[in-house]
Amino acid sequence: MTPRKATVLVLAWNRWDLTKRCLDSLGRTDLSGAEVLVVDNGSTDETPKALEAYRWLRVIRNPTNLGFVRGNNAGIAAADPESDIVLLNNDLELTQKDWLQRLRAAAHSREDAGIVGCRLRLPDGRLLHAGAYILPDTCWGQQLGSLEKDIGQYPGLREVEGIVFACAYVRREVIRAIGGLSEDYRSYFEDTDYSLAARARGFKTFVAGDVTLVHEEHGSTSGDPRTFMQIFQKSRETFRRKWGKALEARYGREVFWQSIMNFPTGYASSCREILRALDRQGVRVTYRYVYGPGTPFPVAEPESNGDYLLDSIRIRPAPAKPPIAVVYGQGDVFCQNRGRLKVGFTMLEVNGFPRDWARQASQMDEVWVPTEFNRQGFLAAGLKRPIHKIPLGVDPDYFHPGIQGHPNPSGEFVFLSNFEWGERKEPWLLLKAFNDVFRAAEPVRLLCKIINKDPSVRVVDEIRRLELKESGGKISFIFNREFPYYQLGSFYRSADCYVSAGRGEGWDMPLIEAMACGLPTIATDWGAHTEFAHAGNGYPLRARGTIPAVAKCPYYEGFSWADPDPEHLRFLLRHVYENREEAKARGATAAREVVEKWTWAHAAAKVIARLDALGG
Amino acid sequence: MVDAAPAPDAALEIARLTARVERLERLLAARSRLLRDLTPELCMDDLVNLSRLSSGRPPLARAAFGLSDWRETTALTAGDVEATMEQLWRSLRPRDREEE
Repeated sequence: MTPRKATVLVLAWNRWDLTKRCLDSLGRTDLSGAEVLVVDNGSTDETPKALEAYRWLRVIRNPTNLGFVRGNNAGIAAADPESDIVLLNNDLELTQKDWLQRLRAAAHSREDAGIVGCRLRLPDGRLLHAGAYILPDTCWGQQLGSLEKDIGQYPGLREVEGIVFACAYVRREVIRAIGGLSEDYRSYFEDTDYSLAARARGFKTFVAGDVTLVHEEHGSTSGDPRTFMQIFQKSRETFRRKWGKALEARYGREVFWQSIMNFPTGYASSCREILRALDRQGVRVTYRYVYGPGTPFPVAEPESNGDYLLDSIRIRPAPAKPPIAVVYGQGDVFCQNRGRLKVGFTMLEVNGFPRDWARQASQMDEVWVPTEFNRQGFLAAGLKRPIHKIPLGVDPDYFHPGIQGHPNPSGEFVFLSNFEWGERKEPWLLLKAFNDVFRAAEPVRLLCKIINKDPSVRVVDEIRRLELKESGGKISFIFNREFPYYQLGSFYRSADCYVSAGRGEGWDMPLIEAMACGLPTIATDWGAHTEFAHAGNGYPLRARGTIPAVAKCPYYEGFSWADPDPEHLRFLLRHVYENREEAKARGATAAREVVEKWTWAHAAAKVIARLDALGG
Repeated sequence: MVDAAPAPDAALEIARLTARVERLERLLAARSRLLRDLTPELCMDDLVNLSRLSSGRPPLARAAFGLSDWRETTALTAGDVEATMEQLWRSLRPRDREEE
């Protein structure tokens, strides 16, 4: 079938330098099946004259600057009435030869696709845009991935609420259904307005993750910030009037979530992800910090973590007596639950739960745990309330095999482990085993990213006491360095195998993140993570049995955890090193399984199923 | 209008400055040559620090990836994955050559 013709519509108003760069780069790409139409929006610089030299494109000229909306609408009206339309800002640079063919393929890959955008990158390499969302709370559109280093996040075709129309492939069916851009706006918000109008007619908006263009943002309006703000605020009010109610309707459910999110802890980072996923799936979340004075963690929570969505959720007014409240945290704060129906959501790294946790759990209407391991722990503690499994997850937009890594250019095979120093992670075992099993001359290295916040521990002394051999396997350390969370996939992709040889896990987020990135993994075959890590997608490390969980953590007292087998660890390290293709295949399986079963979207769907069951 | 010829004092000053520029250029060329010669022998961190020291600036704190240069602390330092990994791999190069 012949692909449908596309009209690439470039709107230009002065700034010939930008327009020239855009057109020159456009001319170097594959424009088969396309016509290029430049709308000169009343430029007063050299643009009209200079365009005469570009004989391969068509130019229409508006007598004055009609603004973004009416300027583009003039172009749409002048285009072939059978063609699709591609709106393109003149401050874009097209560095991908097949960008148009890919956008066209994406737009016609599904019947319900109406509008397709792409990833936009700033000239300095940071990501600017990978789709947009807009909250009814503020009616201020937010861009996904904005200002993060571009590491290959947001791959594939993804449905989004909106895109910026710096680059937008619009199928002719949409234009026939809703016409051009709404002239209620001069500039700004017309793009999200258009996506919402299209959605109301059954056309969805997508971002094609395999297309990335370079965008010098606001290149066409950079002259006067006051003008920008005036136009922006006027458009925002118009948008609120038109779509405020429709945006509120995105929420079909509500939940009151009491937890922790603005600290560098496991509960906090997983809380952030769950809340994002719930919002995406139409749950209006209100949030309150569950710790603070009078709790086991008597520290006030910082007000912001720099994430617009989460900050907005955090300041939403909370109901005095919410119908359903979920406390997500340690079991000794379940008593803080303020809901009429109370849910406690927790986990622990040993084979049981402290008596106080079980007591507080018994006050809940139901208890959620991520895995069977913890369900068994509560049953062993004698809990009689309903216990449901709500797994945690991974964000496949940031953890996938296509994320850009930085492997050792020497070609060394790199084992990676990422942990907080302490008894539970049993780092001595891994360091000794690795140092024993390899020789320094072999092109293999263990990289340990270690965090230690305990002032009574000197990590370097503890490592020195191991008397690692100079002639043994080489080990490097990244000590007390914190990477931005969104970059962690890039860290995992810099290694060849991930090792988690600890004694117990309540979930093991780094392990599942490494698996999502396609790494083969070696992980102790005991604990919560056995829910997702198995011999089909990695290398389970045998436990010789369980031993008393002796650690500084008071919650572990009286319980047991695994005793990983050093001999088997040595065997597995050598086996993976010598059987790389097999290991790679298991890593690939792991990545597939994570996407199929263990994303935050899956986790949110399970939360929603429980909310519905409770509410109903 | 054509400029008048410089006064004798000015001519002397120009000659002095010209000589100084030439001397600095020679020093710079020699330093560049030295750094170029050392490039294959040193890791990037050492090279950067040598360059800084030779121009009178203090060395940068060295990134610690091994036990010999370990800095014990309970403070966390923010880092960028790409920069850290490049630092790490660069820091390993000379030792590897010695091992070979």
